[in-house]
Amino acid sequence: MTGIQLTNVTKKYIENKFEITALENVSVRVEAGEFVAIVGPSGSGKSTFLSIAGALLKPTEGQVLINNQDITSLHEKQLSSVRLNQIGFILQTANLIPYLTAVDQLLIVKKMKGSVSKEDRAFALQLLKDLGLENKENKFPNECSGGERQRVAIARAFMNDPDIILADEPTSSLDTKRGHEVVQLMAEQVKLRGKSAIMVTHDERMLDYCDRVYRIEDGVLTEEVHTQLA
Amino acid sequence: MVLALKELLYSKGRFIMIGFIIVLISWLVFILSGLGTGLSALSTGVVSQADITGIVFEEGSEYSLSKSNISSSLSEEVSKQEGVTDTAEISTFNTSVRKEGTANENEKITDVVLIGIEPNSFMQPDIVEGSTWNTSEQTQVIADASLQSEGYSIGDSIEFSGTDKAVTIVGFTENKTLYHQSALYAQTDDFRDIRFSEPELANGAEDSVSGIAIQGDEVNMAALSEPGSGIEYGTKEETIKAIPGYVAENATIMMMLWFLMIISAFILGVFFYVLTNQKTHQFGVLKAIGGSNGFIMRSVVSQVFVLSLISILLGIGLTYLTVLALPETMPFQLETNMVVIYSAVLLVISVLSSLFSVARISKIDPLTALGRIE
Ligand SMILES: Nc1ncnc2c1ncn2[C@@H]1O[C@H](COP(=O)(O)OP(=O)(O)O)[C@@H](O)[C@H]1O
Ligand SMILES: [Mg+2]
Repeated sequence: MTGIQLTNVTKKYIENKFEITALENVSVRVEAGEFVAIVGPSGSGKSTFLSIAGALLKPTEGQVLINNQDITSLHEKQLSSVRLNQIGFILQTANLIPYLTAVDQLLIVKKMKGSVSKEDRAFALQLLKDLGLENKENKFPNECSGGERQRVAIARAFMNDPDIILADEPTSSLDTKRGHEVVQLMAEQVKLRGKSAIMVTHDERMLDYCDRVYRIEDGVLTEEVHTQLA
Repeated sequence: MVLALKELLYSKGRFIMIGFIIVLISWLVFILSGLGTGLSALSTGVVSQADITGIVFEEGSEYSLSKSNISSSLSEEVSKQEGVTDTAEISTFNTSVRKEGTANENEKITDVVLIGIEPNSFMQPDIVEGSTWNTSEQTQVIADASLQSEGYSIGDSIEFSGTDKAVTIVGFTENKTLYHQSALYAQTDDFRDIRFSEPELANGAEDSVSGIAIQGDEVNMAALSEPGSGIEYGTKEETIKAIPGYVAENATIMMMLWFLMIISAFILGVFFYVLTNQKTHQFGVLKAIGGSNGFIMRSVVSQVFVLSLISILLGIGLTYLTVLALPETMPFQLETNMVVIYSAVLLVISVLSSLFSVARISKIDPLTALGRIE
């Protein structure tokens, strides 16, 4: 199977001798073409969850399978390769590189793998176009609006054609209208390209675009049963 | 690499500042180096610019031409020694000159080193202006070009203090100075006439010279220069080091140069460190989206490399511009191989100083990209 699976994941932080359980026995499985949302208040463990799913943080207990590979035992170098090839990360604030134009933001991930081909460039332009950024290819981040920046970040996440897309509160810095636009575009791309996507958010309005919704509170994850019946 | 260049172009202001510092440092290094070479040429030129392997001196003269006195008839024996391919006698005499017929006026007197050599020997200087001696005629000298700025020119007749002997300047050579004084090259016979102006001064020294310069590879003079033989042999390097003031002068300039390099390493190191620190978040993002440590380090180092390279090239350009503006009399001599060596050293220093920051990169946690979590 392609996709991501977390089994009985627990994460504890030690801070000033106190132990904080940020995630408690969490299990999730997201298949290709599925768009899953995780909603919860601030401090409930959403970023922690995503960091573990995204090979940025190791769980205290439990197993993380990405395309059937257990990543909990990998070295930093291997993890970085997993992030590069199998995961597309969309961060809270767009987190673009200030001195790169929109198209270069996408090509940089290709460069990390080696070199940039003509096809890569064409693919990057296509992605930007799909996300409604036709005329912004050569704009620097400071010349783009917040929504545009977030869409560039989404395009960047798709650039290496990863199987997993992870988004950490992608709408938190956007107004409602732009927020809807961005999530809608993201959902479209996920379906179109058959990715397994997890979006973490505290914004209830964005849940309509998702196939399944989980609630997280104090590190405990529960699936919301009344998904769309249609 | 491309990432590095794009940032250089985008954040021009910030990088121009660092680049400017590197330009100034390299400029200062090149100027100091040129001054060092110029000063050493001024005190050693006659020896250091000559194509010689070493010089045979009188025993006890401590490799100093002005203290040494040997018979020119030794040449024959010297040339038989192992490895010696050619010999040339050389005599020196510290004196002073003035233009002929100005003895009673307030005309300037200039200190010079008179050098006596055999015509057509390998000690004969290259001419940059005028012509060499006409061997059939007497009393012609070749002067170092530094005398031009003292007002001497070709065809001038000059006389030496303490004698009424006059000679004519027929040509100029360059960089031939000794003990910070300009050299005048005369043929051995003329040299003796001037040196021993009163016949009794010569007193059995009719065929004496200061030393015998030799050429040849893997020369072995041990047989000739045994203690008690009355002869000592100094290699070119030993002879140069024995020139009064040379070592002290040279060491001072070298110390300044290396201090400058070390200081610049620290300054640049701190600069790059601050710069890297400011970009912690950015590097975190690059790591979070899959950039390896190597990728980021390469990009930082190549950026420093390109920036330093451009700045050093500008520094070289600035130095050559400065040279144009320097006064003739200034002892400044920029050697291309020195420029190349110091450029390379500076480049290595700035790249090394960026390694500090590179070490820091590997410690940046990609989690910083997420904003929260510490
Ligand atoms: N690096 C850390 N060290 C200690 N405690 C942490 C760390 N990161 C997060 N926490 C704690 O873990 C809990 C979950 O945090 P987080 O995953 O950031 O939640 P969310 O993203 O939902 O706001 C919080 O109580 C937070 O204070
Ligand atoms: Mg968070």
